[in-house]
Amino acid sequence: MVQAEGLTKRYRKAVAVEGLTFGVGPGEVYALLGPNGAGKTTTLRLLSTLVRPSAGRALVAGFDVVREPLEVRRNLGLVNGGMRVYERLTGREVLEFFAGFYGLKGRAFLGALDWVVDLLEMEETLDKKVGEMSTGMRQKVVIARAILHRPKVLLLDEATAGLDIFARRALLDFVKAYRDLGHAVIYSTHVMGEAEEVADRVGFLHRGRLVYEGSKEEALALGEGSLERAFVRQVRGA
Amino acid sequence: MEAVLRLFRKELIQVFRDRKLLFSTLVLPVLLMPVFMFGPSLFLSRLLQGAAERVQEVAVAGLPEEALKALEAARLKPVPVPDPEEAVREGRFPAGVVFREGAYRVFGRLASGLGESQVVVEKVKGALQALKEAQVAEALVRAGLPKEILSPFAVEVVDASPPKEKAGGLLGFLLPFFLVVFVLSGGQVVAVDATAGEKEKGTLEALLAAPVPLVQVALGKTLATVAMALLSGVAGLLGLALGGAWSARFGGGVLTERGETLALGGQVSLDGGSFLALFLTAFLLALFMGAVMVALGLYARSFKEAQSYMAPLQLLFLLPLSKCALTVASSCW
Repeated sequence: MVQAEGLTKRYRKAVAVEGLTFGVGPGEVYALLGPNGAGKTTTLRLLSTLVRPSAGRALVAGFDVVREPLEVRRNLGLVNGGMRVYERLTGREVLEFFAGFYGLKGRAFLGALDWVVDLLEMEETLDKKVGEMSTGMRQKVVIARAILHRPKVLLLDEATAGLDIFARRALLDFVKAYRDLGHAVIYSTHVMGEAEEVADRVGFLHRGRLVYEGSKEEALALGEGSLERAFVRQVRGA
Repeated sequence: MEAVLRLFRKELIQVFRDRKLLFSTLVLPVLLMPVFMFGPSLFLSRLLQGAAERVQEVAVAGLPEEALKALEAARLKPVPVPDPEEAVREGRFPAGVVFREGAYRVFGRLASGLGESQVVVEKVKGALQALKEAQVAEALVRAGLPKEILSPFAVEVVDASPPKEKAGGLLGFLLPFFLVVFVLSGGQVVAVDATAGEKEKGTLEALLAAPVPLVQVALGKTLATVAMALLSGVAGLLGLALGGAWSARFGGGVLTERGETLALGGQVSLDGGSFLALFLTAFLLALFMGAVMVALGLYARSFKEAQSYMAPLQLLFLLPLSKCALTVASSCW
């Protein structure tokens, strides 16, 4: 579903990520772990075609992020912690607005809406203006917008930032449910506990480089039951 | 194209749901334009008219009998005081006159601009000028000379402006000026909110991650900017027209140095061709400005940064119009 080979992004004075090579298959949650500034967000922005790579290549759902950006975007959903939706529109209007870009209109839209409302338990948020919603409700609209077209690949970047305990729990449950539907999920976070719960495989990112990649079980064994310990050992050893 | 229209619609829904923004962009110009444009001139013309019709007291000292009679004939009431200059300075009289050593000295409080004092001073000057001419004519007759010798020829100034320019009056300058101001301010609100505003609020990334080419995103936002700019321009012109009608109804207008009243909105009528030209010009201006403002907004990293780019842009477009104010208005329009 996602294949990155030597993916690199350089800015004038800094290298954000360098030589990333990893893959994520269908029905798999890949946790991209690292501290702030490790390059997680840049990696997801590269995969979602928001920035162009300086070198290397990446395929999302079989489409090249540089040559076929629109096809890539049709097949992925992106959620990040800082992402917001239009405050003066209702939840339903936001979803209808974005659904149109994926060709979901009329009955197709209503079907997608029913599915996402059930999945995220967001019945009560639909006809409220986003500006009048709680943080958790807003985040549900952000997620619903990203998955309404049932993307093959879902990218989540610090998606639980600012969420209360209930909204966070709902999001983690949703990630597992979405994985179980056969979709690929890249879950980027610096909170190792979340990764321990949802990940199938993990990649440790440090200073723009992938310093470790393996199954969650292997990583846990490496850290004697703790992903955090495994990360620290790998980084110090790198 | 569908994506462009979808974006256009979304931007306008957002604007129309913001009541404060809507009020300041579309309603306020309609309400304020008549007050700002025609209120002062209406107030001033009423003040001057009233001052000319009333009988005012004038402080006098040493005036001969014929001068006192001339002042009374000009609807002024001479009141003898020891020091007219001081009386005027203290505000007890709007004007004063002293006759000393063959010269009339007229006092008024002129530093505060056009007001009742200046009107009374003009009335005094007019009365004394009429007296002077009457005395010269009388002397000429006594010397056996015809009094027509005082006016060997006449000087007549004729306004040769084309009829449209005469009808337009100040509006020839005001119309493009306010059209530019309202088009810019109305468009700016949407342009900044839809670009840098979206960046700052964190909503732009969701849009850019959707399968829509960037050019279509920019086009949708530009169209919304143009629509709002035109609506704002129409609101401003509506306010101007209302002010013109109000001015015509209640006798407002701007006095020239020669005492004529310049025609404002009340005497202007646009035929179909002129209206079409006006709308087309406004549309092209809005389209160009919309594109520039959206481009600047997309370039800016924050709301404040975008606004800082827009301010010089406004000046840039208002600069050519300031030239119109100094030259013939019609040559600019």
